[in-house]
Amino acid sequence: MASAPATATERLERRVVGYWILGDLLTSGVLGALAWFVARPFLDEHWDKWSSAWEHVLLGGLAGLLLLAFVVPPLSFARWRYAYLGDLLLLRYGILFVEERAVPVKRMQHVDLVRGPIERLFGLATLVVFTAGNEGSAFRVPGLRTDVAQAMRDRILQARGDGRI
Amino acid sequence: MDASDAPPAPAAPPIAAAPVLMRGHLHPGILLLRLLDALRQAAVPVAAGLLLQSWWFVGFGIVAFVLRLGYALARYITLEFTLTSDELRVREGLLERQERRIPLDRIQDLGFESSLLRRALGLSVVLVETASGQGVEARLDALARRDAEHLRETLLAARAAACGRAAAPTAAAADGTVDAAMPASPPAPPTPQPEWLVHRSTAGELTLRGLSDLRLSAIVVTGYAALQFADTFGLAVRVAGVARDAQEWLRRFPPHVVAMILVGVLFIVMAFGVGTAVLGNLVTFHGFALTLRGDVLQRRYGLLTTRQKTLPRARVQRVTYEQTWLRRLLGCGVVKADSAGGSRTEGEDTVGGWDVVVPLARDAAAHALLPALLAGLEHEPFTWQRGSQRLVLRMTAQGAILAAAASASLWPANGAAALGALALLPLWALLGALVWRNLGFALGADFLALRHGVLGRTTAWLPLGKVQAVIVRQGPVEQALGLASLTVFVAGGSPTRIPDLLLADARALARGIVERAGVAAAATW
Repeated sequence: MASAPATATERLERRVVGYWILGDLLTSGVLGALAWFVARPFLDEHWDKWSSAWEHVLLGGLAGLLLLAFVVPPLSFARWRYAYLGDLLLLRYGILFVEERAVPVKRMQHVDLVRGPIERLFGLATLVVFTAGNEGSAFRVPGLRTDVAQAMRDRILQARGDGRI
Repeated sequence: MDASDAPPAPAAPPIAAAPVLMRGHLHPGILLLRLLDALRQAAVPVAAGLLLQSWWFVGFGIVAFVLRLGYALARYITLEFTLTSDELRVREGLLERQERRIPLDRIQDLGFESSLLRRALGLSVVLVETASGQGVEARLDALARRDAEHLRETLLAARAAACGRAAAPTAAAADGTVDAAMPASPPAPPTPQPEWLVHRSTAGELTLRGLSDLRLSAIVVTGYAALQFADTFGLAVRVAGVARDAQEWLRRFPPHVVAMILVGVLFIVMAFGVGTAVLGNLVTFHGFALTLRGDVLQRRYGLLTTRQKTLPRARVQRVTYEQTWLRRLLGCGVVKADSAGGSRTEGEDTVGGWDVVVPLARDAAAHALLPALLAGLEHEPFTWQRGSQRLVLRMTAQGAILAAAASASLWPANGAAALGALALLPLWALLGALVWRNLGFALGADFLALRHGVLGRTTAWLPLGKVQAVIVRQGPVEQALGLASLTVFVAGGSPTRIPDLLLADARALARGIVERAGVAAAATW
């Protein structure tokens, strides 16, 4: 294994940014609706300190959430790298907390290909690799083109060991 | 490595039914045990009902008793276990039938437990653990002790044969001459292998373990629970009354006598705590013996509840040597081993001491017996390395942030007194220095060794062939200082973390670990 790669080099599909933004918008939309239409009247009724100032704080928070939904995905995409080289699956990601993960393929227990409904609209897939262990034993590679993900899964399955621990 | 691209099933299921080696039921004594259990649990609501003149409680207790007994009877009648040459089958259930099949080569651990009552009846509990991460996979609640012994012997022999069969293709590929003889040989005859005594705990060691037990918090918890108990029965008022009486009684004495009385009470409480710890350890680990037979480690211990546990050496994921600050001062510590699927919090003992390999040993003795747990460790030339000294800087920076935040938030209410929170800064710096002093790691050809701690110290050894994944992680402060932490995952126990390496060092170490892990994995299979 002399040609061991130093770092991961492959990037995700660019359209994953759109998928992430859409997903984040959906979650923040649901959260915002809950906060505005459920929590606000409730607090108004049962908390005597509730005032329009608090309402502004709530609005500001929701606006921040919305902003984050647009800011985080491009940054996340810019940092994401992965590679499947030699016998190793290498991942590198994270904005505030940068993580580099290396998984020897022979150790893997099984491999999943996940495609959510919105993910399918974008023609994307997420590869999930499981190793034995309790914490942090699942490794996800999001934003892969479906055929790339399938090819990678097949290559991993071929290189996989017998799953003994 | 054969290219098995089939889904996770590791080996093709045997077409011909594997020969049955052993078949059996639970011992009828289980019914007596269950009857006693049910009686004990029914006693509380019935007694309460009689006391409070509430027939609801009595009725509830009786119905629960009958249901429980019926369930136990149904389980007893339906439970049947079968041991074949490649799996253990446990079938049970009357309405909802379930059959559990555990492939022999997946069994991590076998445990035998026998409480005083069970021993009087000649029974023992058999616990079967696999790597599923849920601990005990199957539990045979009561077998006659002879049956249990027989089951273990048969199972160990069958497993050795099953693992041998699984390893055979690779062996055959390496050496063409053996493959003619291999498949023909029947499940290996159980040749009795000599049993080596690795460690036997003396009463002195166990006493020392109890004396150096720092969990006085247990007493506080017990006291709190007792108080809550008193509260639910409306005794709290009376307790408060007693406390007030005691206060008034104390007030009659001059202050220095009061102080002496309080110190005396504290001393008695501490002595009680230490006494129970010593007693508990002597009872739990009485006659602890660690032996090695073939490639299987075995532990036997216990005075009232006797326990036996096997652990195949090949299944050990990590060995740790844990020293609290007191035990470190005394030059001794606890050796523990993680097997796949086991999960525990570092520094804490599991109930019954299931993961303890040696309850307490002197430093030299503990290190001398490590090769018995991890074969090949004795050939490993470890050169210990230290972490980066920037660790102290990082901790100080974090302390500064913390101190500033604490001062700022306390300022409006307390004024200049809030500056006292700045004392956090030197404290954090000191903490950083201590952490750095204890931090060390060594990468050998087959093992990774690591030590860390603040006042106490934990040393861990990991076989590189067991490494599942490696993570290099940088937080915001670490990015600014060019540091990174390295986390190594094995299949058992919590992940092993090495904080505050230089980024380049962390990456190089991570690469070294995964490369060797890949090589070791290829060599093993």
